[in-house]
Amino acid sequence: MTMINKAESLKQRQDRRFINKETQTAAKYLRRMKELPGAPEGMEPFYRTLERIYVNMDHIEKAPGQKTVGTYCVMTPPELIYAAGAVPVKLCSGNYTAFSVGDSVAPRDACPLVKAVAGFKQTGLMPIYEDCSMMVIPITCDCKKKIAGMLSEQCDVMTMHIPASREDDDIDEYVRQLYQLMERLENVTGNRITYETLAEGFRKVGYAQYELSEFIRLKKQMPYLIRGSHAMAILNSSSYMPADVWGKALHNVNVSLKKSISEKKAVTSKKLPRILLTGSPIVFPNVKIPLLIEEMGGIVAGDETCMGERGLWDPAVITDDSFDGMIRALANRSLRPCPCPTFADNSQRIYRIKQLIKENQIQGVIYHVLRGCLVYDFEYRRIENELGQMGIPVIRLESDYNEEDIEQLRIRIEAFIELIKLRQVPEKATAVRKSF
Amino acid sequence: MKIKRIVITSAICAGIAAIAYFAFVFPFYEPETSNFEVSIDRLMSFDYLTALIPLLIIIGMTTAGIVLVVLLRRILAKTDKKDSRFAHVRTGRQKGAAPKQKPVWFMIMRWIIMIAFTFIAIWGGLIFGMGISSLSVPVLSCPWNTEEMTSSSCYYLSHLNELFELPWHSIVIFFASTIGFILLLGRAICGFLCPVGLMQDIMDKIRRKTKTEGIKMNDKMYKAVTPIKWCLVLILIGLCFAGGNFCNFCPAVAVSPVLAGISTSLYVSGFLMVLVLMAGFFKRRSFCMVCPIGAILGFFHKISLFRIKKDTQSCTECGACYEACPMGIKMIYTEREKVDVTSANCIMCGECIRCCPEDKALSMTCAGIKLYSSSRKKIMSGYEPDKNGGLPNDNDK
Repeated sequence: MTMINKAESLKQRQDRRFINKETQTAAKYLRRMKELPGAPEGMEPFYRTLERIYVNMDHIEKAPGQKTVGTYCVMTPPELIYAAGAVPVKLCSGNYTAFSVGDSVAPRDACPLVKAVAGFKQTGLMPIYEDCSMMVIPITCDCKKKIAGMLSEQCDVMTMHIPASREDDDIDEYVRQLYQLMERLENVTGNRITYETLAEGFRKVGYAQYELSEFIRLKKQMPYLIRGSHAMAILNSSSYMPADVWGKALHNVNVSLKKSISEKKAVTSKKLPRILLTGSPIVFPNVKIPLLIEEMGGIVAGDETCMGERGLWDPAVITDDSFDGMIRALANRSLRPCPCPTFADNSQRIYRIKQLIKENQIQGVIYHVLRGCLVYDFEYRRIENELGQMGIPVIRLESDYNEEDIEQLRIRIEAFIELIKLRQVPEKATAVRKSF
Repeated sequence: MKIKRIVITSAICAGIAAIAYFAFVFPFYEPETSNFEVSIDRLMSFDYLTALIPLLIIIGMTTAGIVLVVLLRRILAKTDKKDSRFAHVRTGRQKGAAPKQKPVWFMIMRWIIMIAFTFIAIWGGLIFGMGISSLSVPVLSCPWNTEEMTSSSCYYLSHLNELFELPWHSIVIFFASTIGFILLLGRAICGFLCPVGLMQDIMDKIRRKTKTEGIKMNDKMYKAVTPIKWCLVLILIGLCFAGGNFCNFCPAVAVSPVLAGISTSLYVSGFLMVLVLMAGFFKRRSFCMVCPIGAILGFFHKISLFRIKKDTQSCTECGACYEACPMGIKMIYTEREKVDVTSANCIMCGECIRCCPEDKALSMTCAGIKLYSSSRKKIMSGYEPDKNGGLPNDNDK
């Protein structure tokens, strides 16, 4: 009897420690984001969402009785989930505390994102994970495949096969998988997917994408109207908000950004080195890299990461008004424009990065690799070569979900920003020398 | 596998050639008195209605065919064990409307020009006179209709033996006007002028309005269709030398003269027109994929004034243009180096540009002047927020 009590109290103690640590870390990073100057008006709903999910460890906001469906990748079309009357929640995690738990569950070389998911599964304390009636996991790498197996022990899991190329046959096959996904969604939610509900799903996501297009157009403006870290907070919170609510909140941000154009208000009057962030996903609260860049005096002018600008950027273009045509549009949008390194030939990512460099007048690229994220690591070499030919400096930053490497990252980012500053304006360099 | 494909393709081509050769043997629905007189008075008279009978037969057969195919597909989908789950949404009548982008002026202009030219090709001569009737435009409208304002090149292209019996100045005018139009417009003729193109576009519009599922072609199917196109080109040019008459076989012959008021027979072409319309219903502009006149126009795609240009930097390879393209031109989204992506198959319908979500990634130019370019704002216009910035309500639309 006492043994059981002891065991229970041990578990309770562990849980309490987990919750304490988790909320503290999340609160700390949220505070650092808020402390960063130059945020536009209308950021509160996004901060509130991140606080609600990670600091208060609360459920997502939704209508009573509505089911939530967890997704793991931009390749799962949220339109279908809305069509089935459920709310999608992106479950890719950036949590340090869950990572430390998952470290003992998953093998050493697994990527931290998957370890964090395994950690949440192990503790069973995170409401957004526990609420899910179903999880949809596109198999984009080996770690995702194994985590799908682990998660299926306690939740209904649907895996989606991601082909290695994007040929016509692959799209046809993906369409078939989407029909299977719809069947599973109908079974879980008890609602039928009809033409009308699907069109409604398209409208919700399309509205969010409309506002996002506007937001990214404003984000490209010079001088800067918004910092990359704040944009990251907005884009990250899209995972935990219904698309229409998120779109409405983003609309308010867009209005305030337009106001700052007319008032000629910018983030800062200084000329900050413009940096492009690319590579492995950056998920709250693992926002140490964009925060460090901007605290060190740079600005994340563009990002090419799947929890960032890339995630919602490509709209599903309906070229055929039939039901099947709409599903086809989703399959096409999920695979073809996606510059995910899971595809064998991913040269389109280089073009995408080049375009971002041109549009945002990028001066340096930071290539973020999560330890163990092989597919992103593979592509570094090629991108380094391509950018070298363009004369754009690039560094590879490998990081893990903990704060041990923060000083090392700080030094490297600082040096990189100094390097760009030296290249940027020769007059400024001489000015510095004079003061010595 | 390859041998099988070759055998099937050559069997289809031989079948088409045989139908083309023997087409004149089967008149079908021969009118009691052939009347080649065309006048405005006739258009007002009761005789016009009787002359329209072949067209009504075609329309009736097309409708019946489409309804049959749709019903058959519904039954098949319901009995299929694997796909029956969504049979009701895929094949039944559906409420609601898919989000649509707002109309673009380019498309409106294209429709107006297409309808206007079809009008001219059928009744133009009666209204505007025959002043320029010696000019030949390479479209698929029927030269049997003697009251066309401009004549159609297809007659002499398919009757080369007759062409060289003409006086030399007629030959010069024929070649000068045909080649002139090809150089000036290229395959924009297909997208902007061709009456058979218009008929197929109307069929496609009906399909979209009724939300009927079409046939989705992939690159293998597009490749399989190409030999049939070359076979038809051979038939178009060679049939007159073999002793046949292409006109008895051409799908346009059963429509445009009939509308002008000429009493003609249905011929085999009437049945082919039914096939063309049905195929055009399920797959947009499906006849254009095999059209011999279009194939001849395509030879000149490198020098015609209309071009499709691509900003290879902005493209995200999302493939929306390829999905939208009725001709299945894949190169338009895979090309990452060349700026000019005009292909021999491109009919300049502008659908790729309308569906492209990246600003200025695709554009159409004529002699260097930009006519139409893609825009993010336009493609997202169906999702534009309401006045308060909230989710647009579809009840308003």
